[in-house]
Amino acid sequence: MKAIRGVLLTCDSAVKQILLTMNEKGSFIIEDLDDNHLVIKADEEYRVRRELEAELEKNTYSLE
Amino acid sequence: MSSKRAAEGFADVSHPAKRSKKGQDNDEYVDVDNLEAVEIESPPETSLVPRGATINFTALTRKLADARREREIAEGKDESTLSIHRRQQDALVSHIFQDHDFAWLHLKPDHASRPLWISPEDGHIILEAFSPIAEQAQDFLVAIAEPVSRPAFIHEYKLTSYSLYAAVSVGLQTEDIIEVLNRLSKVPVPESLDSFIRERTLSYGKVKLVLKHNKYFVESSHPETLQFLLKDRVIREARVHSAPVDNSIRAATFTTSKAPVKGNLVIPGTKEAEKKKEELANGKGAGGKTDAELFTSVVGVEHDEVEEDDDNVHAFEIDDAKIDEVKKRCNDLEYPMLEEYDFRNDTVNANLEIDLKPSTVIRPYQETSLSKMFGNGRARSGIIVLPCGAGKTLVGITAACTIKKSCLVLCTSSVSVMQWRQQFMQWSNITDKQIAVFTADQKEKFAGDSGIVVSTYSMVANTGNRSHESKKMMEFLTSREWGFILLDEVHVVPAVMFRRVVSTIKAHSKLGLTATLVREDDKIADLNYMIGPKLYEANWMELAAKGHIANVQCAEVWCPMTPEFYREYLREQSRKRMLLYCMNPRKFQACQFLIKYHEDRGDKIIVFSDNVFALEAYAKKLGKLYIHGGTGQTERMRILQHFQHSPEVNTIFLSKVGDTSIDLPEATCLIQISSHFGSRRQEAQRLGRILRAKRRNDEGFNAFFYSLVSKDTQEMFYSTKRQQFLIDQGYAFKVITHLDGLDDLPGLVYKSRDEQIELLSSVLLANESEAELGTDVVASEGDLKGTVTSKDFGTPSKAPTVQRTTGSLTALSGAQHMSYVEQNKSANRKLAREVAPRHKLFAKRDKDVAAARKEARTASKG
Repeated sequence: MKAIRGVLLTCDSAVKQILLTMNEKGSFIIEDLDDNHLVIKADEEYRVRRELEAELEKNTYSLE
Repeated sequence: MSSKRAAEGFADVSHPAKRSKKGQDNDEYVDVDNLEAVEIESPPETSLVPRGATINFTALTRKLADARREREIAEGKDESTLSIHRRQQDALVSHIFQDHDFAWLHLKPDHASRPLWISPEDGHIILEAFSPIAEQAQDFLVAIAEPVSRPAFIHEYKLTSYSLYAAVSVGLQTEDIIEVLNRLSKVPVPESLDSFIRERTLSYGKVKLVLKHNKYFVESSHPETLQFLLKDRVIREARVHSAPVDNSIRAATFTTSKAPVKGNLVIPGTKEAEKKKEELANGKGAGGKTDAELFTSVVGVEHDEVEEDDDNVHAFEIDDAKIDEVKKRCNDLEYPMLEEYDFRNDTVNANLEIDLKPSTVIRPYQETSLSKMFGNGRARSGIIVLPCGAGKTLVGITAACTIKKSCLVLCTSSVSVMQWRQQFMQWSNITDKQIAVFTADQKEKFAGDSGIVVSTYSMVANTGNRSHESKKMMEFLTSREWGFILLDEVHVVPAVMFRRVVSTIKAHSKLGLTATLVREDDKIADLNYMIGPKLYEANWMELAAKGHIANVQCAEVWCPMTPEFYREYLREQSRKRMLLYCMNPRKFQACQFLIKYHEDRGDKIIVFSDNVFALEAYAKKLGKLYIHGGTGQTERMRILQHFQHSPEVNTIFLSKVGDTSIDLPEATCLIQISSHFGSRRQEAQRLGRILRAKRRNDEGFNAFFYSLVSKDTQEMFYSTKRQQFLIDQGYAFKVITHLDGLDDLPGLVYKSRDEQIELLSSVLLANESEAELGTDVVASEGDLKGTVTSKDFGTPSKAPTVQRTTGSLTALSGAQHMSYVEQNKSANRKLAREVAPRHKLFAKRDKDVAAARKEARTASKG
């Protein structure tokens, strides 16, 4: 079996839920450890971070 | 920018405040940079940055100084330090400000004692509210500019065409405006702004719109101006050609008459009025001018006399129907029309015998606002902005008492119609017969030649079919000339409706009243030409400091979503999302905690929820009383009475119905669990519920305003948006991320995961319609859409849904040991009903029984 390079993500429970939803569209989670920890594919890390950022930004009000 | 700045007001303060204490000496920078003290030519750059916009300013200065010291050590003292220093500073700071880097602006040498900073680009004015002369500067700025944001220490104002128009209409002169600005400003008034002010103010105030004998005339003392206006197609078409009556040589086409002259006018109820009684001296308008400082005298009203030198005015008549177009056109041509009414010399319309009751005294800011309106002895049309609970109604009534002519009051709903009527009776000596009401249910006319009619916008603007009676009433309204028209809550009225009102009713002067001159659609500008300029806008913080309205601590409580709820939230795309973040168990807990905390402090608490489903769930779970649209009238009265008088009922839950119509001066704490998206107006209105708190004058009293927000949801977005208006008024929202002691609260609801999941499933089972907001309030006929102030709620419009279930008849009838228990009982039911008074028949018997018992007792003793 081929080994996959993984990254351990520490996040709060809400972010974890967002990641789980994102995972349904395109799988990147290797292991769901507990409420605050996930192991995801290292290649996907950048994309995931960016998408997460965009998702969180939706709930922020800015004047501009 | 502005409100971000506002939020950071506190962080920002320490720096400028410290500086102002140091006073006017210029050597205050020595400690930062001892090299610079030699070169006086170079202004101390550190203060060139607009203070309002500096965030980490002190930190940056320190960093800069450190960097420089290092360099000095390395290079030794060198001639070009200044240029190096400059470059360095630019590199450090510039990128933060981007286009707003005004480092090239030069300060006046004594800038420390001047409170203003004027942006050369967009006409924004920044005021240091901590300056010793800030108060005078503020009076002046309120007159010439629009307040953008007014937190505790740094205020922001904006010069606009309309604000300058307003300034001219209250009698300020171009030269005075520029001179005072220059005097107050740290930097010379920028060229562009100077020409802007000149350009705008020169044409203003030259044209007036007057109503004579029920016809509109455009009036001016400059015939050239009228000629110019008539060249415009729109205005020419609107003109009504009547045979020229006058034989004036200069302009045969215009009618010419004597200009009105200023006399003595006193607004009743003001200090001036009291003074008047004693001395009967000069009637110079508002306020004591004894401490005649430059600024106050300019802000005052004496300059009005100048424009009255001309004794001939020229006029032409225009068509009633086109009045609105003409007004708009004149605005576009930069000849906005002033609407003034010389009511004391109006002999055509009958006077109305109305006066304030002798016991009525109006507050200083109400006086100021009215003096802006009656500044030159005539009534100007315009808008007065006062916070909720600061006595808008009294301002309106006083204005009506000053004009003393027939008056039409328009408000948004039939409930406020009755409130206005009641207020008129309370504050003035008007008789029952002189005040009439025109609503869907009541159509009255006043007796005599003059009087007051109170109605709603929609009744008057209605174009559809009318009943015979209201048709007759409308004829009555349109056929006569009104001295004064009072427009309540002007910010909510749609422009179309407004136009119809303005064009059908002929009124000499108009006064708009509002608490929040904001709209989510940017229709505010329309009001400028439809009613008039903003005459006065009160400063909320100042009123709070003086005890006219309560001091309020605002806080936003962040409640994290439980993972289960958040999971569903992310998967749900419909409106049910909203139900999920309202029903978040953590929010439940926070709500419970805050109620407990404030009840223990002795506060009376109102909890607001726009969502009726959440309202009921919360109230039932926490065992509190609640009122929503479906609550019957008697039950409502009983609940409110208990809240007001019973020490056991300290908390009530209210739906949208409580936003405006219910007046509860007992309430001192407000918790918001669900609200109408990003409506800034609703937020301000809700805050208004506790601004008039009875206990506001107790020492150290604070009212509390909490907004519960579920983290990581859309609610965060709306919540920030909603706060913008209040932030601009100077309120600071604290963010509470963790309530200390929440987890140890005995009897905490939804503590276990199972309970939370049970709650979740009940939310998921709920109909989508439950997620809608304000479904419980039914507006009655004549109410404006979106104002929801109806007091006699109908039944909720939701149709009862029928459920079919299968089951054996025996089981359903209880034969199989099945019993029905209501789990979450509404606390409303437990409320003791009033004991019915006993029938008279039994009273005698009771007495007999008591007497017999007493007898028996004495007999047994003896």
